[in-house]
Amino acid sequence: MAFAFPLSAAEKAGGEENTFNPKETIFEHLLDGYGWELPFSHEHRIPLPVIVRDYKGDWNVFMSHRLDHGQAYNGFYIAQEGPNKGKVEGVDDAGNRYRPLDLSITKNVLALIIAALVCAWCVFSVAHWYKKRRFKAPKKGVGAIEFLIEFVYTGVIKSTLGDKAPRFAPYLLTIFFFILLMNLLGLIVIFPGGANLTGNIAVTMVLALCTFIIVNVRGTKEYWKEIFWPDVPLWLKFPLPIMPLIEVFGIFTKPAALMVRLFANMMGGHMIILSLISLIFIFSALGAVVVGFTTVISVLFSLFMLMIDTLVSFIQAYVFTMLSTLFIALAQVEGHHEGKVEKVEK
Amino acid sequence: MELFTPEFGLVFWMFVVFIILFAILAKYAWPYIIRSLDERAELIDKGVEYAQEAKAQLDNAQADAKALLVEAQKQQMEILHEAAQMKNHIIEEARQAASVEAKKVMDAAAVSIEQARKESELQFRREVSEFALQIAEKMMRKQLSDDKTQVEMIDKLLNEIENKN
Repeated sequence: MAFAFPLSAAEKAGGEENTFNPKETIFEHLLDGYGWELPFSHEHRIPLPVIVRDYKGDWNVFMSHRLDHGQAYNGFYIAQEGPNKGKVEGVDDAGNRYRPLDLSITKNVLALIIAALVCAWCVFSVAHWYKKRRFKAPKKGVGAIEFLIEFVYTGVIKSTLGDKAPRFAPYLLTIFFFILLMNLLGLIVIFPGGANLTGNIAVTMVLALCTFIIVNVRGTKEYWKEIFWPDVPLWLKFPLPIMPLIEVFGIFTKPAALMVRLFANMMGGHMIILSLISLIFIFSALGAVVVGFTTVISVLFSLFMLMIDTLVSFIQAYVFTMLSTLFIALAQVEGHHEGKVEKVEK
Repeated sequence: MELFTPEFGLVFWMFVVFIILFAILAKYAWPYIIRSLDERAELIDKGVEYAQEAKAQLDNAQADAKALLVEAQKQQMEILHEAAQMKNHIIEEARQAASVEAKKVMDAAAVSIEQARKESELQFRREVSEFALQIAEKMMRKQLSDDKTQVEMIDKLLNEIENKN
């Protein structure tokens, strides 16, 4: 009874195999997965560990290939429809489907770890250079990374935060390089890349949350005073706290804007490229000439879009860092003067 | 829509990975890199400043050397002049001292000569008076007694002779 559903779902999917469904394909690439597709093969995936806790509180760890093609393992299967479509589901004793606590190393989590390792390697290569060759100018790759560090550190962090720059620079530089590498790795189509990381709202949410925490935990007294008792005519804040309400709202809109901006930009880029490639398969029914023509156009357009996305990868990492710096700087106000800038900015 | 609902597992792992990455980089890499960047910028600034100063010093060095040479020549002249003055002074002093000494010796000699002359004169006079007395005695022994008036007269005569001399 428990396994009847996934099997029937697999049959349904098998029946539709020959007709191309662009929406499904695009979303499959945009969303997370339990395995990592190998290039040129839709069937073979790199198995990744699935870590789930069932309703009894027991942890189950197994490789994702046991769930391929609608198989079930230990009572867990990948839902083919319903609210948990594409996610691991289980069936409890009463026969109800439920979503277990899922801490699987999915495609996105592995891509995250790879991005973090690459990021650490990049940064430590610069640190290592300084340790070894002190004041010699770095060459080649190290020089490029150092240029980015210098660009962000002196161009954004130091010019905005001034004396407080060294205190916040580690966080800001880390998010810049981490976002940049996640963006760029997402553009590489095959294995170590290809995961739509920064186009996933969970990832951008955590990043925005970190900025939110740093802004508000390290905010000065003046910053909180500006929020709850701003420098406006009395009737705007008492008895009805109109301005304080707007200011408090602003605390949450700022990181929310950060989250949505990065997410929408990167997701949009991936979606456009996938749509352009899908065009080839949509037009495949119309004959060889049309397909040939569409292929050339689509490939040219997606190449163009990839180039733009490379630029966007950098711009979005830069913008995220710049706005985080700005929000931190606005929460570091000391006098009355800067308090006004805060309002203008909104 | 699943695109807009954050998945808990991914949020959890993202948080873990990001915190670990941040902790490692913030502890072992960023402070070192930032310090090195700042230090290198400072070093370059200092280097440029030093080079500019060095160039300015080089430009001034020739003028300095010239001024030094002029100063040295001036000092040399002064020293020579002083030496010459000192020499003249010493010679002058020695000369003065010598002349004073010589004068003293001459004076002493003159005094002793005068004394000797006076003594000899006195001697001579005594002897002459004795001789004269003897002569007069011999001459007048017969005619004259040892008259006091006679002796006085002879003495008076002798004084006259002496004054004539």
